[in-house]
Order: sequence, then C-alpha cells, then structure tokens
Amino acid sequence: MMRLCSDPLPPILKVENLSVSYATRYGEVEAVRQISFEVRRGMTLGLVGESGCGKTTVAFGILNFLGPNGRIVEGSIKFQGRELVGRSEKELRTLRGDQIAMVYQDPMQALNPSLTIGEQLSEVLIVHRGISRADAWRKSIDMLNRVYMPDAVNVMKRYPHQLSGGQQQRVVIAMALLNNPALLIMDEPTTALDVTVEAAVLDLIEDLKRDFDTGIIYITHNLGVVARVCDQVVVMYAGEVVESAPIGNLFAHPLHPYTQGLMRCVPKLGSTKEESQLYPIRGRVPAPQNRPWGACVFAPRCDYATERCRNERPAFREIAPGHSARCFYAGEIDPSAWQPSEEADLPSPSPKPDAIPVQENILEIENLKTYYEQPSRSVFSLFGLGKKHYVKAVDGVSLHVPKGITVGIVGESGCGKSTLAKTIIGLEPLTSGTLHFLGFDLSMPVTRRDVKLIQELQMVFQNPDSTMNPAYTIGEQIARPLQRFKTVPPHQVYDEVIRLLRAVRLDPSYYDRFPSQLSGGEKQRVGIARAFASRPEMVLCDEPVSSLDVSVQAAVLNLLLDIQRQYGTTMLFIAHDLSVVRFFSDIVAVMYLGHIVELGPAEAIYMPPYHPYTEALLSAVPIPDPGATQKRIRLEGNVPSALNPPSGCVFHTRCPRRNLLPDHGLVCEVERPPWRYNTEQHRILCHIPLEDLRKMEPVITSH
Amino acid sequence: MFVGDYMTRHPVMVAPNTSIVELQGIMAENNIRHVPVVEKGKRLVGLVTRQNLRISPTELSSLNVWEITRFLSSLKVKDVMIRGKDVITAVPDMPIEEAASILVMYHIGCLPVVEEGIVVGIITESDLLTQLTNLLGLQVPGWRATVRVPDRPGEFAKITAAIASKGWGIDAAGSLPTPRKPGYWDVVIKISAATRDELAAVLRQIEGQELIDIRETGPCP
Repeated sequence: MMRLCSDPLPPILKVENLSVSYATRYGEVEAVRQISFEVRRGMTLGLVGESGCGKTTVAFGILNFLGPNGRIVEGSIKFQGRELVGRSEKELRTLRGDQIAMVYQDPMQALNPSLTIGEQLSEVLIVHRGISRADAWRKSIDMLNRVYMPDAVNVMKRYPHQLSGGQQQRVVIAMALLNNPALLIMDEPTTALDVTVEAAVLDLIEDLKRDFDTGIIYITHNLGVVARVCDQVVVMYAGEVVESAPIGNLFAHPLHPYTQGLMRCVPKLGSTKEESQLYPIRGRVPAPQNRPWGACVFAPRCDYATERCRNERPAFREIAPGHSARCFYAGEIDPSAWQPSEEADLPSPSPKPDAIPVQENILEIENLKTYYEQPSRSVFSLFGLGKKHYVKAVDGVSLHVPKGITVGIVGESGCGKSTLAKTIIGLEPLTSGTLHFLGFDLSMPVTRRDVKLIQELQMVFQNPDSTMNPAYTIGEQIARPLQRFKTVPPHQVYDEVIRLLRAVRLDPSYYDRFPSQLSGGEKQRVGIARAFASRPEMVLCDEPVSSLDVSVQAAVLNLLLDIQRQYGTTMLFIAHDLSVVRFFSDIVAVMYLGHIVELGPAEAIYMPPYHPYTEALLSAVPIPDPGATQKRIRLEGNVPSALNPPSGCVFHTRCPRRNLLPDHGLVCEVERPPWRYNTEQHRILCHIPLEDLRKMEPVITSH
Repeated sequence: MFVGDYMTRHPVMVAPNTSIVELQGIMAENNIRHVPVVEKGKRLVGLVTRQNLRISPTELSSLNVWEITRFLSSLKVKDVMIRGKDVITAVPDMPIEEAASILVMYHIGCLPVVEEGIVVGIITESDLLTQLTNLLGLQVPGWRATVRVPDRPGEFAKITAAIASKGWGIDAAGSLPTPRKPGYWDVVIKISAATRDELAAVLRQIEGQELIDIRETGPCP
C-alpha cells in the first residue's frame, strides 16, 4: 500500500538493548547481550548466524519461553508500543495466542500425533475465538487452501504422520496464521525440508507476508534462504548483533569481518573446487561463559584483529544509511583484498585436469536393483499366495566410477540415494544386477565380505553422533579399524592414530576425550579419520556436511578434498545441496525415484541441456546472492511412492516440461524414456529430444 | 477498492482492563488516535479515541491533587470506552466510498473493520485521504491535467483515445461534476510519459473540451 511520506507506521516490534541470561552451573551466563532491532509490518527480518549465536534465545525471549533458568536481564521489548518485559504470564498468553505466532524447525514436534489435522486446526479457532465447530472446520479448510495444501478437505481427516514433511510444515504455518497474527516468528522453518519443498514454502512465506501484512522474524543459518525471503538482515555472533543492513547492502557490501567470512564459507552455485576455494572461519563460536568481555567477541577469530579489538568493545555504529556494524574498522576493510591468513587450513591447490582422465573403473554398477519387500495385508498372503509388493528403492541403476574421481549423487529425499550407498557398502542386500569393486563381486552382505574388501571400501555417515560409541575415547575408536585391518603393526597404532588426528586438524589431546566432549564438526572429523584409517580405495560419504554449520561445513569439505588429493581416494558423495555437490564433484548423477535421470560431468549438469528434474532442482536452490535471478519452476506434489512407481517415465507425474511433447506427453506415461547422449559422458533420460532441451534458458542468471 | 484492501491490518488494540495511563502511553508511542478494545480472540467490545480521554474539569474539581492521581490510576479503558453496540464498524468487502460516507455521516474519524465480531483491521480518515491522493496519482511524478468536458456520453472516451493514440499510459484518473457549472464535468488525468507541451497539445485538440489546468505533481519530498 502506498503511504504518504510523512506518515510512517511505527514498528510492530521494537527490541532495545535486550540481554538474556541463563542460570547454569557456571553461574549466570549471558546468552544474548544488548541487542536491538525493529520489525515493521509486511517486512521480513532475518536473524542469521551459526549455531550457538543466540538466535533462538532472542525468539524465545520475545515470547518469554526462556524456561525456568532463563531470564531477561535488561532491555525492553515493545510490541506495538507495549512493553512485554515484566508482563504477567496470563497477559502474555493472550497476546501469544492472538497477536504473535511461532513456527518451529521440526513440524512433527509442533503437531499432536494423536489428533487429526482438522481437530488441531479447528481447536485453535474454537479456543481462541470461541466460534462453532462447524465454522472453525470451514475456516481451517480455507486456510489450508491458502497455504496451497493439495486436497485440503481430505487432509483435515488425516493424522500428522500421514503427511509429508513439507505438508506438515504447511499445516503448522496455516495454524500460525489462523489467528491472523501481527507478528510471526519462524525458527528455521525449512531447514528440515527438501530443496524443492523448501522453495515452495519460501514462496508461500513471500505471498503471506504480502497478503496478511504480517511482520516476520525469520531465523536461519542459510544465507541463500536469507537472500530469497528477507528484507532486512541482522547478523548475530556470540550473542551480539554484529551487523544489520537491508538485504541488498548486506550481500553487496558486508561490513563486519564475520559476515564477510560467512560469505566465503558457502560455495557459489556453479563454482568448482578447481577454480575457487572455501575459506572456513578459523576457530569456533565461543561458549557463552567463555566469551571475551570488554573486547570484540569476534577478535579471536578475526583476521583483522588488532590490540584495540582485544582490549575494547566496539560500539554498534551506523556506517552507511540503514547499515550498521559492530567493528572498529567497518567500512575500512575491503573484503576483495582479503587474503587467507597463514594459520588457515586450506587444501593444497590442484591444477584443473583438462578432462576427466580415462582411468580404469574402480566401481562398476550394472542395472542394480534394491527392493524392499512390503508385507501384504491380503488374506491370500497368509497362505503364501498373495502377490508380493516391493518398494523399488533403487531400480536399475548403472554407474561406472573411474579411479580417483568424486561422483556426486543428488536428489530429493526418498529418491534412493542412501539405499544405493547402503547397497554398495553391503548393509542392504541387492535384489538383482551386478556390483563390481576392484574386480571383486560386491553382491554379498558386509558380514560375509572379505576383510580386505571392507578395508578398501569405507563410509562417512551423515550423523556423527549416532555412529560413535559414547563409551569409548576418540583414540580407541580410531584405533579400532587400524587393529582390525592390521594397517600398521600393533606397536605403531598409537602413532598412527595421532597422525590421523593431525590429518583431520585435531590436536593429539583429543585422543583421550569422549564423543560427548566434541562439537558436531569435530565429531565429523573423527568420523572421517576413522573412515580413512584403513587407507581405503573408496569412501562413500552420505550427507557428511548437511548437519553442520556453514563455517564448519567449509572446513570439513576442505579436509575431505585435501585427504582425497593426498591419497587419491575415490569418493561417492551424496548430498542434497546442489552448490556443495557442484563444488565437490567431478561427475554428478541426478537420481529420482530409484533411477538415475541425468549423469555427466559436473559442469555439464549445471548448464542446458538439463533433464526437466535437474532444471527444477536447480531453480529451487536458494542462492546467496539477491542480485541473481532464477527461473521459477516448482514441482507439484511429492515424490510418488516407490511402492507403486508411475508407468513409463517415473517423472511424468510431476514433469513441468511434458507439454514440449505432442499430446501433452502421452508417450511419457506409456514408454520408458531413452538415454539421450549430449556428449559421450553426459546423458539424459528423457523423451524430449536434445535439441529442445538445449533451447531452454539457463536456470540462473546473475547480474 | 474495498475497505479490506486499504485498511490497516493488525491495528494496535487494548484489553478492557488496561489502565488509562498505559493507554495514553500506547497511543503516544504509536502516534494513533483510535484504539479498538478487544477481549480474548480479538472480539470487539469497544473503542477508545482521544475524545474519550478528555476528562471534564468539573469531574475533577472536587478532588485535591493526590486524589486526582488516584482517580486517574484507577481508571480503566472499560470505564471510558464507547461500548460494544454503539461502535460503528465496517466490513472488509465494503466499498471505500461507503466507509467514507459513514465517517462523514456520523462525524467520526475511524471504523474498526470487523469480520464475524473479530477485529481484522481499522480504517481511518487518513487511510481514505491517502487513497484519494493515490486515486489522483500524487505518488507518481508527472503532469496533472484538468479537462472540462460536457456532461454527455463519449467525452471521457475521447480523452483516453487521444492519449492512447500517442502510446502514453494514464497513471491515474478521476472526475467530478464541475462546481457551480451544471452540465459539465472536470476530469483529472495524470500522465508521466509525455512532456508538458506534448500533453497540452494533444488535449487542446479534442473538440468540445477545455483544458483548464496543467501542472506538475509528485510525492512530497
């Protein structure tokens, strides 16, 4: 709405000098120190920072959900001019129900598993507004339609577990909006979702902000997401606001060294490991009780820190209109002149190979199928007469992996990426097809494999927490494969463990520590050290960095690159983040519903011709650059069930490009698509002729 | 052009038990004159305006300075507000001119916008005046021309045809019967694509119409 210039609306929320502390066994620990910001109506404010920076504490502070040991020490939170600090619980509860709503990271935890969606949604209206059950039901359906929920009427009768993650998150957003709140706080609402679903949810948030005129606080660690949805960004570090700016300014001219560092940690979509580097920020976020006082909190990790930074706390000051930073040297630092400091651990640069060298294949997969049998409920099956049902998790995958190469596998969740890795490593029995590794047959499960074979084929898992035994020290855990595979003589095991710890940039003092004493990034390093302990020929990495913070992610990726270059290890790298895969891999395979739909050198995958699915995935990736424009292609619905995959081309039910074919792509429903070879190494599984695929515009154009 | 499109959503609201002192602070902080009073679930129960906060001196004359303080601090919103059914409200799908006529008719400054008893917004004189400025295109810098046309069908079409033949766009338009001159209408159009002379030349050519005024307007600095 256009407004007269002399009549600016006051902010919905004004936080001034807010400090929050928790009573812990270290005494009173200040989690958030003197932060200030404003949220205006119809505006999205992004709160960004690594984990442990106090983002969620701020959100909880606004709602006074700090728990019994947390309290607001000083400062004010004004909601529409009304002070919230010091209000009674009863007053706050009315306000939270009527005017402020919150959406959490994990939708499953916000929904009651024992009530239907309809009961939960209409309850909000019945309790808060006192309207009749029938009216509430009708309004809930309207709201579900508003958040683009397919088949809203029937969704009302379902239970949360019958919905996909994206649908659950839509239900939670719908629930938050039912009372038409003036302020919506979203804490990492898309972090647990697939890129394609995330893109749809982010579009939805944009629409809702416009239509409902709601002020939104959007908490995230993902700079790409920030660039897509936020208008104003507040960067937090160690409980302080270090920079605040409108979105365009922040990305064009980051002022604070921390913001600049964060931007160097994320691979740009389209950049490769040969032509660019990731620069992790050294060190890590200090725990609240260890934060430096009377000094710049970022000084210990800052490349520009001087004596002054270590002895005096910089003020938060405005450098350009609307753009403030907490740094003595903000505005004087030129990020383009930045050089990595000597202490930074960077992988040794490698010359770009002219082409993928023709090497013998280390792994050959031919027509691999992994099916899970589904128990049938029919009466016949009781007598063994029923038709067997199978979940076709991997359905006819052929892939040749040359030695020393990294193959990236991407796709939405449920497309069979992890099953493929588990089949190769021997954790899942294969149904048919052949698997050859170094000439050995890999068709038997891991328990019956030769020790030699296990030694040559290792795996790094997604979640380092669940793959480590909490009762053993780090040293013992790394020593275990060394003893088992007899990589080194028994008396050298200790030295070898220390060498491995050093290789993953961990201090020898970690030998005697337990997993619970390590951060997520450190645990993942131990996981890597353990996988490389037996000096394997090939390592499978299943989402090794997706649970890590960006700066830690950069460090772990660099580490993997370095080790790979040193030992010439072949890698299979599974990830859902396309920019990471592009950065890390030489060859990329795009999987959909158990099939590889596109396979080729990394650079070829990211330029036309695309498989329509690859195109959709690329258009969904959040890019940390507000200047870049992306084609907007959104896939309808979810990945179909692998129990009953679509006929013909498995992608035909969601394909946005079918209309390029005659009869609206009738052939896609009937016939299996052929492989179309763009080059010898780049092939696409699609009915659409290559000439037409080539004519598509690139998904991402940057200015 | 409906109330729902131009109202202020999420207006500042207070509960009936809020003290007058706090209300005064909220109104000052947000620079507003009207505050809907709601109970749980944003259900409208009343309205307070600046007028309601005017306490007549006669009421206070019998009190000494200490008693005045006590009197003021015990005063709640529910004691001074315009109550429930006396509050005149609007609905989101009401045309804005209808809302304006209600404001004029009752000599009031705002209408809480209500949907099934629940406050969804507020529309004030300022909101409507803001839309008047938008209606006549004040927010777009350009030329504002006033043309006097005879009151008969087809005159407005002549103007639009003349403008369209040049390939310009009309940024805003409005018309009113000419004051004190029955049988004529004044049409105001806003054009940003042309120069003053080009626009004047085109409008002067139209037969039977008179170019009254042409001037530059734009958003206030």
